[in-house]
Amino acid sequence: MSLLKLENLSYIYDSAKVKVLDQISYEFDEGKIYAVIGKSGAGKTTLLSLLSGLASPSEGKILFREKDISSLDKYKYRSQYVGVVFQSFNLLQNLTAVENVVLSMDIAGIKQKNKKEFATELLGKVGLSVDESKRRVLKLSGGQQQRVAIARALSYNPDVILADEPTGNLDGETQEEIMSIFRGLANEGKSIILVTHSPIVAKSADVVYELHDLSKNKAKKKDAQGKDAQNKVQAVV
Amino acid sequence: MYIFKNALRSISRSKGRNILVGIIVLVIAVSTCVALSIREAAAKAKESTLDSIQITAQISVDRQSMMKNSTTTGVAPDRESMQAAFAGASGLSLDEMQVYAKAASVKAFSYTLTSSFNGTDAMKPIDTSSTSSTTSSSSTTTAKTPTNTQQGQSAGGFGKMGAQGSFTVIGYSTDSAMTAFVNGTSTITSGAIFSEGTSDNVCVISDELALYNSLSVGSVFTLVNPNNTAETIQLTVAGIYKNSQATVTTGNTMGGFSAASDPANEIYMSYNALKAITTTSIANAAAATSTTASTALREQVAGTYSFADVESYNSFDAQARALGLADTYTITSSDLTSYQQSLQPLENLSKFATYFLIVVLLIGGIILIVLNIFNIRERKYEIGVLTAIGMKKGKVSLQFITELFLVTFTCIIIGAGVGAAVSVPITNSLLKSQVSSAQAAAASQTTSFGRSNTNGTTNSTTTNSKNTGTSNNVGAPGAIVTKTTNYISEVSSATNFTVILQLMGIGIILTLVSSCAAVIFVLRYEPLKILTNRD
Repeated sequence: MSLLKLENLSYIYDSAKVKVLDQISYEFDEGKIYAVIGKSGAGKTTLLSLLSGLASPSEGKILFREKDISSLDKYKYRSQYVGVVFQSFNLLQNLTAVENVVLSMDIAGIKQKNKKEFATELLGKVGLSVDESKRRVLKLSGGQQQRVAIARALSYNPDVILADEPTGNLDGETQEEIMSIFRGLANEGKSIILVTHSPIVAKSADVVYELHDLSKNKAKKKDAQGKDAQNKVQAVV
Repeated sequence: MYIFKNALRSISRSKGRNILVGIIVLVIAVSTCVALSIREAAAKAKESTLDSIQITAQISVDRQSMMKNSTTTGVAPDRESMQAAFAGASGLSLDEMQVYAKAASVKAFSYTLTSSFNGTDAMKPIDTSSTSSTTSSSSTTTAKTPTNTQQGQSAGGFGKMGAQGSFTVIGYSTDSAMTAFVNGTSTITSGAIFSEGTSDNVCVISDELALYNSLSVGSVFTLVNPNNTAETIQLTVAGIYKNSQATVTTGNTMGGFSAASDPANEIYMSYNALKAITTTSIANAAAATSTTASTALREQVAGTYSFADVESYNSFDAQARALGLADTYTITSSDLTSYQQSLQPLENLSKFATYFLIVVLLIGGIILIVLNIFNIRERKYEIGVLTAIGMKKGKVSLQFITELFLVTFTCIIIGAGVGAAVSVPITNSLLKSQVSSAQAAAASQTTSFGRSNTNGTTNSTTTNSKNTGTSNNVGAPGAIVTKTTNYISEVSSATNFTVILQLMGIGIILTLVSSCAAVIFVLRYEPLKILTNRD
């Protein structure tokens, strides 16, 4: 049983009447890292928005554990089942790194004691020192903010991690560190879906979905052993 | 709980914005507290004054109604029919008054008997009619012996009492009927008041009269029947009283009025004792057949009905009518008139406070709503992030409302404190200016008239230290003797628990109304749009 499944998913931007995604059918299983690649404007971020429940598909379904997410409480879905790392981090600027993480846990309804300590520990895991964790997000660099965003997405232990360019602001070494964190999470049984331009990230993924121009109608799929496979997808650029 | 913590954190990290909101709320809170306090003080003063006054009423002939009934619309007034109507109307007898005293609303009924006497060489009335100065009980009284004309005036203004003497002797049925002593206007300075219902010829006299005639407690003096000089009575002074409020105004414009109208020449005794005197006089006069005109002492009975409260007074009219009181009689209460007059400045101020409150709340509410809208627009991104990471819009709204409540209530508590501190001086200051305005209007009227106005509005002012109020004399007809009415010109406390509760209620409503704008915006925002636009 797939953890997350797209069935004939299409999306049209209402404002421009432009079809961005057309009849996509993907499956995301537990314990794997997925990379969604494609040119700018191919609909990668739109796909992420649909998967996170921030947008609703024009056609088709998104199934989470065989349940259509449109029938689920979207707030609960976003705060408990999927963790989203946004491209622009979307952190609360007037809060510290720890407070951002703790707030996310509060929203998820986690009753755990010592949330602050747990958040500090989590931030430490993604490479933020205790001192940096106490700083307001506004005073952190892009890379540090990215780490806070990842820690926030991990804080409530979601089943799926959705990340839009999660290593975009990080150097090569840190990229690898982050990817190893994702690998660890995948090994714990989580499904990691990464939208990326980075070849390093794509290379580390178990499965790569490539969104192409609709005329090509193709996507590469690579199995866990790194062998290329063909998987038809329909995408409109 | 995290919503509350988040709200607190948000307030502490956005000081500038919250201080601005706080200042506005503080101004609204102080203004509202003062306005509510003024209203409360007015209501309390009204209530306590009403509780403290003894509501009494009298039944009198309704001349205006009779004149109106005698006049046909569109036809010239018919004097003859009016005279006929007046001739048929007479004051109620004691028996009739006692019938209406049985009305359920009447708490007590008392009555007085008034008669008029002349003095003797040893007992002369105080008369200041030839002086032009205004004297009061506390000032030096200039007195002179009344002229023969005054001693034997025809009593046009004294009902049907024949010749009017220089002294007015009033007999009271009960102690409670002596309202001047009950309310403290008059106090015994020497001796004691005669026993209630006594038939002994004992009386109390004013301190001025005692001083003028060298009388003291135990002294015996003689009074003469103004219709029959051979008929005399002897009274023993049981007590001497001082009237703290009665003001005597005499002068050239007041010529022609008897000394009997001067309160200093009023002698008080028991109804039974005076009734015995007048009954004897009437019997003597009936026995003497040689004279054409009656030589008996004239007497006039007046009844006073007391009520527990205003409602009882208001219901008395219907009850008295049911017991047979004719339409040609009217029921009036001078206590209520005086009470309403004393409250006028405070009521004016209360009205002003109400309008002020409405304006402050309207303007303050609009400013708060606008500020909130700007605040929410400024925090649009925050709303987008919170909803994107799974916080429900309702909870986001709740956080914003909590923030506003925390700021508002902190400022309302401070505002209530400041308002409570300043409301009393502000109320008193405004009240004094209201009283001053009323007095200035009266003074202007006096200037315009070229003399004191005698229609019962205002003549002069005195300060009554006991009631911390400024008094305006309400002129009796002719303005010879005026009785003071106290304006309430000072309140000691204004802000109470009710005001605080009202203030809190207004705070809650104001916060909810201004939060509505925030809630509407939060509900309208879609996280994806906000975050995409920012990107």
